[in-house]
Amino acid sequence: MLGFVIQRVLQALVVMLVISALVFMGVYAVGNPIDVLISPDATQIIREQTIRAYGLDQPLWKQYLDFLARLLSGNFGRSFVYNMPVLDLIFSRLPATIELTLAAVFGATLLGVPLGIYAGYRPDSPISKTIMAVSILGFSVPTFWIGLVLIFTFAVTLGWLPAGNRGETATLFGVEWSFVTWNGLTHLFLPALNLSLFKFAMMVRLARAGTRETMLTDTVKFARAAGESEWTILSRHVLRLIAIPIVTVFGLELGSTLAFAVVTETIFSWPGVGKLIIDSIATLDRPVMVAYLMLVAFFFIMINLTVDIAYAALDPRLRTRRAS
Amino acid sequence: MSSRLLEVSGLTTRFETRSGALNAVEDVSFSVSEGEIVGLVGESGSGKSVTGFSILGLIDPPGRIVSGSVKLNGRELVGLSHADLRSVRGREIAMVFQDPSATLNPVLTIGTQMRLAIAAHESMSKAAATHRCIDVLTIVGIPDAARRIEAYPHQFSGGMRQRVAIAIALLNRPRLIICDEPTTALDVSIQAQILTEMKSLAARLGTAMIWISHDLATVSSVASRLLVMYAGRLIETGPIAAVLRQPHHPYTRGLLNSLPGFAKPGQDLVQIPGAMPSLVNLPVGCSFRPRCTHAQDDCTLLPAFATDGARAFRCHHPLDLPVPASEARP
Repeated sequence: MLGFVIQRVLQALVVMLVISALVFMGVYAVGNPIDVLISPDATQIIREQTIRAYGLDQPLWKQYLDFLARLLSGNFGRSFVYNMPVLDLIFSRLPATIELTLAAVFGATLLGVPLGIYAGYRPDSPISKTIMAVSILGFSVPTFWIGLVLIFTFAVTLGWLPAGNRGETATLFGVEWSFVTWNGLTHLFLPALNLSLFKFAMMVRLARAGTRETMLTDTVKFARAAGESEWTILSRHVLRLIAIPIVTVFGLELGSTLAFAVVTETIFSWPGVGKLIIDSIATLDRPVMVAYLMLVAFFFIMINLTVDIAYAALDPRLRTRRAS
Repeated sequence: MSSRLLEVSGLTTRFETRSGALNAVEDVSFSVSEGEIVGLVGESGSGKSVTGFSILGLIDPPGRIVSGSVKLNGRELVGLSHADLRSVRGREIAMVFQDPSATLNPVLTIGTQMRLAIAAHESMSKAAATHRCIDVLTIVGIPDAARRIEAYPHQFSGGMRQRVAIAIALLNRPRLIICDEPTTALDVSIQAQILTEMKSLAARLGTAMIWISHDLATVSSVASRLLVMYAGRLIETGPIAAVLRQPHHPYTRGLLNSLPGFAKPGQDLVQIPGAMPSLVNLPVGCSFRPRCTHAQDDCTLLPAFATDGARAFRCHHPLDLPVPASEARP
């Protein structure tokens, strides 16, 4: 197991290096930030000073090496637009995105998997058909539209929940969180619901398909022949047997939501990193874009590593294969 | 003969399929006494496994038992509630399946699976349950059971896996075990081992068994009585030695002739011509008629199940009947 983790960490380092190069090249190729940063009627001298101040007069490879060196020392540079250290900027926004993502992904999984198992266990019952109808909606209706409908219904018409922003926050582990205050929770609810609908639909379908398949296996027949109750069979046998695809999708969704909750964050004015990256792209704020993409790559690698370790915990057959 | 443990009469299990209703099991009647090993043989699709599952009430839709009765010690099992059936399964009648790598849950240790099977019927401490699991694993011949109990199914060989499955069946000390081709998926050398051991286990524990197989040779080495099924119906039953020595039904004769062990050396094996008919579209009368070399016009009427002492058969023109002498074949 330890050898496996070390091997994966080394792989991750290589991946991070490749991504840093790709990100740097890609971002460098996009437009000229100087045009955005200073007014068009600035003098040539000011223009050249600014270019030099941001190191944009250096050759590309030199800029990349400088960039790598700064990365390794944990210095991601300063934002062109906010004129503050990029890491501080991102970390001031990250908690908002993290709590939104966790609420959406965990909510979708904790609700979607049991309902999916039920729909797979009793595929012909009216309840199952309702669950499946909701999941089709979750799949096919665009997120931004549902977001608008949610705001219209619960914030504008009924006035039950706030339409946007994080609301009151409180400090926990030195970070500001919304979910620890009641007011913050009410602010969190709608965007999390909006974000979780698609994931919920996916979890329902995954759990349903897995359950339907597993119910036909000899493992289930054998457990029934031993007199085990249907509840035991579902909770002890089936849940464990369908866990791997669910954990896989859970990890992927966690990563991609963390990185790209842009639409929901924009609609609900949720001050997370998704909104930050969209603004940075619009203003060609290169250090923010680069640091953000590196961070996203890092998240994905960590999540995938965790998922791989979870596989081994869930399926003993993978454990021995790796050990040998 | 000791007391009747299981009494199956007129059992009919029907499946509603897209191509029509079919009786996978039709009008099957037999009984099993305490401690007796009964062999149930037939080709694939003859209904032998469905018979086993019907006894336990484990027929999934679109199948269902449409008529007949299954009595365990005089208690009717057909029509019991789910909860009542569940308390019979595993505790009074257990089942062992063909392929242990498909029946055991690959992601749970065998200890966990065994404890789940115990917990289905009895609440006891984990330590007590583990203790019983180790005992039973030792009985079925798993060496070092106390250590192996925390292993996963894939860490066992095929034969050992089947022993684990048998141990699970034995956990709640059932009085009847239905063995659905438990040795078919195993190596021949392991087959013989498991066969012998199960036979002696049954004798030692006084457990009755229904041994389902397509392999007459296997069945003949464990069972004391033989039931032969064809296209959903029982066509011949009797003490195994007598049936094998002198089958009355032409189908049983054909099965025997096609066995290497029963043929004369140097001779080609004899095949039964044709294939088993589709259950959706059974021939009128005796289902074996189109393939039977002894068939005559009256075979278009379904023969009754004729009883002759300990033996019974479903044929208008039985072979080798001892009486009367004038009809005896040369």
